[in-house]
Amino acid sequence: MIKKISRFGMLLLLSMAAVLLAVAGCSSNSASLDQAKENKVTIKAGSKDFTESLILGELYSLALEHAGYKVERKLNLGSAIVHNSLINGDIDFYPEYTGTGLLTVLKEAPKFDSKEVYQEVSAKYKEKFKLIWLDPSAANDSQGLVMSKRAAEQYQIRTISDLQKHASQIRFASQGQFDERTDGLPALVKVYGSFDFKDHRLYDNGIKYDVLHNDKADLAVAYTTEGELSKDEFVVLEDDKHVWPPYNIAPVIRQDIVEKHPEIKDILNKVTAKLDNKTVITLNAEVDIKKREYNEVAKEFFNTIK
Amino acid sequence: MINESIAYLLLNINKYYEAVIVHVEISLAAIAVSFMIAVPLGIWCSKNGSVSYSVINAFTILRIIPSLAVLVIAMPILGTGFVPALFALTLLAIPPILINTYSGFRNIDPSVLECAAGMGMNTKRILFGIEIPLAMPLILTGLRTSATEVIASATLASYIGAGGLGDFIFTGIGMNDVRILLIGGMSVALLSVLTEVSLTAVQHMVTKYQRD
Repeated sequence: MIKKISRFGMLLLLSMAAVLLAVAGCSSNSASLDQAKENKVTIKAGSKDFTESLILGELYSLALEHAGYKVERKLNLGSAIVHNSLINGDIDFYPEYTGTGLLTVLKEAPKFDSKEVYQEVSAKYKEKFKLIWLDPSAANDSQGLVMSKRAAEQYQIRTISDLQKHASQIRFASQGQFDERTDGLPALVKVYGSFDFKDHRLYDNGIKYDVLHNDKADLAVAYTTEGELSKDEFVVLEDDKHVWPPYNIAPVIRQDIVEKHPEIKDILNKVTAKLDNKTVITLNAEVDIKKREYNEVAKEFFNTIK
Repeated sequence: MINESIAYLLLNINKYYEAVIVHVEISLAAIAVSFMIAVPLGIWCSKNGSVSYSVINAFTILRIIPSLAVLVIAMPILGTGFVPALFALTLLAIPPILINTYSGFRNIDPSVLECAAGMGMNTKRILFGIEIPLAMPLILTGLRTSATEVIASATLASYIGAGGLGDFIFTGIGMNDVRILLIGGMSVALLSVLTEVSLTAVQHMVTKYQRD
């Protein structure tokens, strides 16, 4: 008895599901046709959860809106989940760094030539994930080491090689990840030799420049487009033996979107073409130092380039 | 997963010992300082009804400021490392001890105190012989609450270069590496449980006379 009912129930459910699917299929088809006609597809823009990525995400969104697209912003995603969100289709594109794509996502061996890195990530992303790397920026947000000018002048340190010689006099405000990551301190030690710092403590990334400014340390970990670097009390050390791969910025976008709307490529590439280190540092400085809203800063910059 | 964590732990065992010691040091110091501030203050409040309201509220409001904010705000004055961490954690630990000391003293039956005075005890003897022992169970409950909170929050000290088990937790989060995260997280949890258990034992011993 129970078996019979359940079989009947199952049939009923299946047929209902089939009807529902058919209806849904029809409606979504017609909807996408309508949207294509009006050229008002909604593009889901993503970004990571730090100043630079937020500004860039907003900048690309503005460019798309300017061209008549609707944009749904899903900015401020954690670095660990943003790639998966893109693959799952929760977002359609986000600004990524070539070096991060190579080392963190693809887990390939580091390379040091900008072009080579870009070619490798774009080929492998297309093959593995069906994702397209648009044109890369001139800006290179690489890993770096920053010193307070005071200490750099006192010990005559300009390059990381100089730093290695004077390490025993230097107080290092490091970060846990930098000490552990294969492209962090271990990579430096491998190429430059060991660093026996006078003092080596871990700090949060958000306060490292305050720590340098308050003379609680001489050296900190930096990303080479950070807004604080526009102040001349800080000096970025030259990576004279080329430990760090390039981190050029480019939007990574889903292949299906680019195929359906090829013009998006040009819209986004036009923005990327304006991004060099100086521009990006200035944009970051507006937000991090002048404490303005990132979307305001992005809008202002977009008005100058559109 | 656990095996990988242990492998990483063994590789970094010196760093780990140092982190545990620093974590315990900061926590103990914060608990001791706040105990020494909060208990006398609580007693004083219980004797002076007029100030009690404002003092207790003032500390409760300070307690509301997130410890992380306190750490960063205090940095230009107190610098980095141990001192600002101690300051922030002490602020965190004071209210539970303060409030419990206060209620411990207020809940003492007035007739008991009258009896003691009638027997010819002076204020000092009443305080140490009658009031403190009667209020002790509540004071210790406050201490337990504070201690567990402090041990959990001492992780934040790692943001400002004070070290401790937070180093492992934040490194783990930053690298999305669960091995490292687990070492830090489990150790903090373990420390909290150990503290809770040992303080409960102390409380049990101190209040033994009530059950005999």
